[in-house]
Amino acid sequence: MICDNCGKNEASIYFIKIFNNSYVKKMNLCKDCAKSISALSDEDFFNDLTKILSSIFEIDIKFYEDDKNKKLFDSTIWDKNKRCHYCNIDLQTIKKIGEVGCARCYDEFKDDLYPLIESIHGSLEHKGKIPVNCNKRLKIEKDIKDLKYRLGEEVTVENFEKAAQLRDEIRKLQEKLYIN
Amino acid sequence: MSKPNFFLLTSNNSVKRKFSNSNSNQIILTTRARIARNLTNHKFGSMNDNQEKKAILNLVKDTATQIKELSDYRFYATGKLTKIQRKLLIEKHLMSSEMSQRMQGKGILVKSDHSYQSYSKKSVSIMINEEDHLRIQCITPGLSIQQSYLEVMKIGEKLEKRLNFAFNSTLGYITACPTNLGTALRISVIAHLPGLVMSSKIVDFIKNLSQIGCSIRGYFGENSEVAGNLFQVSNQITLGKSEKDIVEEMQAICLNIIEEEEKVKQELKTNNFVNIEDSVYRSYGMLRYAKMLSYEESLEILSMLELGLDLGVIKDVKKFNFYELAGIIGSSHIILNLKKNKNISEDEVDLIRADMIREKILKGIG
Repeated sequence: MICDNCGKNEASIYFIKIFNNSYVKKMNLCKDCAKSISALSDEDFFNDLTKILSSIFEIDIKFYEDDKNKKLFDSTIWDKNKRCHYCNIDLQTIKKIGEVGCARCYDEFKDDLYPLIESIHGSLEHKGKIPVNCNKRLKIEKDIKDLKYRLGEEVTVENFEKAAQLRDEIRKLQEKLYIN
Repeated sequence: MSKPNFFLLTSNNSVKRKFSNSNSNQIILTTRARIARNLTNHKFGSMNDNQEKKAILNLVKDTATQIKELSDYRFYATGKLTKIQRKLLIEKHLMSSEMSQRMQGKGILVKSDHSYQSYSKKSVSIMINEEDHLRIQCITPGLSIQQSYLEVMKIGEKLEKRLNFAFNSTLGYITACPTNLGTALRISVIAHLPGLVMSSKIVDFIKNLSQIGCSIRGYFGENSEVAGNLFQVSNQITLGKSEKDIVEEMQAICLNIIEEEEKVKQELKTNNFVNIEDSVYRSYGMLRYAKMLSYEESLEILSMLELGLDLGVIKDVKKFNFYELAGIIGSSHIILNLKKNKNISEDEVDLIRADMIREKILKGIG
């Protein structure tokens, strides 16, 4: 789609502008026009943009002034070829469609997705209700957490034999979690 | 993220003030609560094939039939509905427009007592294989967050006893999109804010709302045009807050919105009132004499007439419920109500719509 304002560039931002004299207009804008047209200051505009949920995966990373965000959306640090072992989705696709392929993706791409999740919600800690039937599963999850901690310890003391054993245990539990 | 400041929106903080029902329901037209749930051992929509979608659909459908509370729900496979039926479900917000694209394996469970005529009751639906495996939503009239919320949670828990929903202790309920993780609860209200728009205060207001973690956007009519000074306000953050927090925060935000709109309306009476009168009478003139009205035009007119009634500009218009009326003048609703001739043109619909509104709200016309 072509930008409604300059009519030249490809529009990449869907923008709702409320004009002072009481009417609201929908616009498709290119990045440059979106910046110049916005009634908000640049800073606000960037902040708002980060909040526009659906845009998160589509906007150009150069938009972000903040270093943390810059890193976050810089595709070079995302390993494009990495795939989820369960559903086979790759990070590039997740980024493009803004959805993961299965529940396991969040574990498979933990390093890439967790910082993003934290930037969206400002938190990485679920505080809401837990499923009524999940006591058993929560226990497995807690076991996995504990084992992972122990695994880290064994790795630091270079006890790789034990570490490998723990890794296998973790995998078994993870299987159990998803098959149940 | 800094702690949300709900008092940011108004200078005069009487958030706890009780608003009379009629007032609040004029500004907050409707409330929707929605939760997303996914099954543990199935891939999400972007990666599963039609066979898996079908398996999910059948599993949810069969589970629903075992639940007493869901016995009065009717199942519709999206692909088996006619185009106009799908449009109606979308118009009534029981189904998202996403459901009418790539319809293989998608379905919807709708509480069957919902009336096509009335918007006075709550309507509940469960979308299957939309972005998430299950999306349970409840729409209630006016400002009624608690009511919608309790309903979706109740249904969620009934299903949860029989289905394994993906959950982890850090991220909460697992959803296809990271923006819904945690409680996966989204509360949204549709607010009618002609005062804030007319006074040009809406820009700052939107900025303030987005600063406190609220998403606000224009409410779309049939052709994706923003219309009728209607805005959809919803919570943005779902992870790191409990369901109760989200409900309470949205409630506080809504009371603030009502208060702010009320305040601005009073200011309009003394400030530049002739502009308001002009806009109201223009709308009145259009309604009185226009032969054909599009859905969006109608929303604009109704919005201004309600403001006019509220500020005492016009008297020969009957009091009306904006949302109820907006619900029955949607194109699909009009066409389905005609029953016989389904190949009716857009112009004919616009003609019927104009007559309908005149009949409903103009005094002495009939």
